[in-house]
Amino acid sequence: MSTDPGKLAESAALGLEGAAKLPTPAHHDEVVDKSRTLRGDAWRRLRKNKLAVAGLVWIVIIILIAVTAGLWVPRVLGDPTFIDTAKVATQSLNPPSHAHPFGTDTLGRDIASRVIYGARISLLVGVLAVAIMVVIGLIAGALAAYYGGWWDAVIMRTADIFFAFPWVLFAIILIAVLGKGFQNVFIAIGVLGWPSIARVFRSSILSVKQNEYVDAARSMGASTRRILFRHITPNSVSPIIVVATMSVGGAILTEAALSFLGMGVVPPTPSWGGMLSEARSYLFSAPWLMLYPGIAILTTVLAFVLLGDGLRDALDVKMKD
Amino acid sequence: MPPLLEVADLHMHFFTPDGVVKAVDGVSFSLEPGMTLAIVGESGSGKSVTALSIMRLVPEPPGKVVSGDIRFKGQSILALSAKEQRKLRGNRIAMIFQDPMTSLNPVYRVGKQIAEPLRIHKGASRKEAWDAAVELLTRVGIPRAAERARDYPHEFSGGMRQRVMIAMSLACGPDVLIADEPTTALDVTIQAQILELMQEIQARTESAIIMITHDLGVVADMADNVLVMYAGKPAEFGKASDVFYNPLHPYTWGLLHSNPRHDVEEKGKLVPIKGAPPSLIHLPEGCSFHPRCAYAREICRVVPPPLVDIADGHLSACHFSHEPEFLANAEYCFAGGR
Repeated sequence: MSTDPGKLAESAALGLEGAAKLPTPAHHDEVVDKSRTLRGDAWRRLRKNKLAVAGLVWIVIIILIAVTAGLWVPRVLGDPTFIDTAKVATQSLNPPSHAHPFGTDTLGRDIASRVIYGARISLLVGVLAVAIMVVIGLIAGALAAYYGGWWDAVIMRTADIFFAFPWVLFAIILIAVLGKGFQNVFIAIGVLGWPSIARVFRSSILSVKQNEYVDAARSMGASTRRILFRHITPNSVSPIIVVATMSVGGAILTEAALSFLGMGVVPPTPSWGGMLSEARSYLFSAPWLMLYPGIAILTTVLAFVLLGDGLRDALDVKMKD
Repeated sequence: MPPLLEVADLHMHFFTPDGVVKAVDGVSFSLEPGMTLAIVGESGSGKSVTALSIMRLVPEPPGKVVSGDIRFKGQSILALSAKEQRKLRGNRIAMIFQDPMTSLNPVYRVGKQIAEPLRIHKGASRKEAWDAAVELLTRVGIPRAAERARDYPHEFSGGMRQRVMIAMSLACGPDVLIADEPTTALDVTIQAQILELMQEIQARTESAIIMITHDLGVVADMADNVLVMYAGKPAEFGKASDVFYNPLHPYTWGLLHSNPRHDVEEKGKLVPIKGAPPSLIHLPEGCSFHPRCAYAREICRVVPPPLVDIADGHLSACHFSHEPEFLANAEYCFAGGR
């Protein structure tokens, strides 16, 4: 995978036994002491993927901003929910300015502040929904793959049924039953999203199970539990990390869609989808209303997808560099 | 004293939707410490299944031991509970797999994998097991073992990985070592090294080896006894020298024919055995080798030949193995040889 021409030439010149392993005299100690771990290798590979690093950096920035929002945003930009009735007339629909970098909405609230608080909702929904997906998905996938037969049939057909329904529609129905609100949004998204995780984990386990090292472990006298947890699972989870990372993006998008349709987080709590929904009427007269939450959704979802894509390559243990 | 390992009339059948696959159909042999038995045959002759049966690694179902027994030091392995069987595996009976590229777990350091059987069976601490792993790596001839133990399998070459596999199988000092085509996936020069290593280890540890292979050349120097298998049944069994220099069964002749020999002066042509091994579900009537046998007669199509002791422990499952004029047909296998 090395794209560094100098390194390639060096490996070619040294020939056979893994060029990287041959310590050069000058760095002898450094090379020997460098304890290489799988995680370290993966990190090194990830760092080479510029897009994935960009995604990761963006995610870290958003998280930092969202987490620290309470400390500075209300003071600097204004409260995201408070409506100052006295000022609504003058503050309403102001274009971006020094005081309000992203402009203000119809009720005179600072859009930058609302976008930042919206990030809290989006990230929380994304992470919590995916947590639910992963827990259900891993259990379902593992049961289907380990036990097979009847378990497999029932679980995978249930997953197929979930796939057959239009996602957003199903989420709307669930929320209609559960009631609106933050909690029900991530529960609905999480409960509906597990089949993709279950499928990936199941097929991953099934393919790992075929490997000779599983037989080899059994021939060493390893118990079924040891084989499952120490040999099969560690080799099966990397696709889950990838799918989960990408699913965070998907969950954020679904939350935005639900909020856009008025089935998500209840106003006045700011959420990106809800803000887009409010901006619909001002698409031409006040485009900043739509622009900033739109950019926020786009970049955040993209960041998660790019990071997931980079992780897929980085986590492949067989990949040499 | 019962033999170290005894396989008695083993029938391992697979019950598939298409029918019963008689993968192993009446195999018997016994093994003493320090002895090497080679099981030879084409793909699908049942040699691997025999090995896996001894390890109790055949998935059941679809597999099932229909009859026969496998005894380790007189104790039937089949009668043991799953837990007791596990105590034997990797501990008293260990196995080396065919493809070293896939039989090591890619996510663990090599040292940790070699240490695993010690952790499982000997209750060794992490540190003890690791030190033992380094020691084992040194023993199988891996340079800078202490460092290399920290590497991952993908950082090793094929031959080195097979050494790692051997180190892993030796960890608990097993009485029986089963090697399922341990050199098939390796270069010829590396093959020789690995075989040498195994012989050296055997000389030191007195462990018995079952060497499964389709390459007669590989076992020529190593094996004490040879079992030739065809379609799940034993075709010929005997001392290695007998089977090599005085083969009784036409199938063994065929195998010897199709093997290049560097010790024969005359550059004879290699003669492959005609046809392909039969389906194990629909075995031919009579002798299962008869459709491919150049010497088949009427009786071969009807009566399955029993495995008969022809000469002093040299067994053959052919109707004509006792006829000197029939055995003369084997002569031209070794034109100029002997």
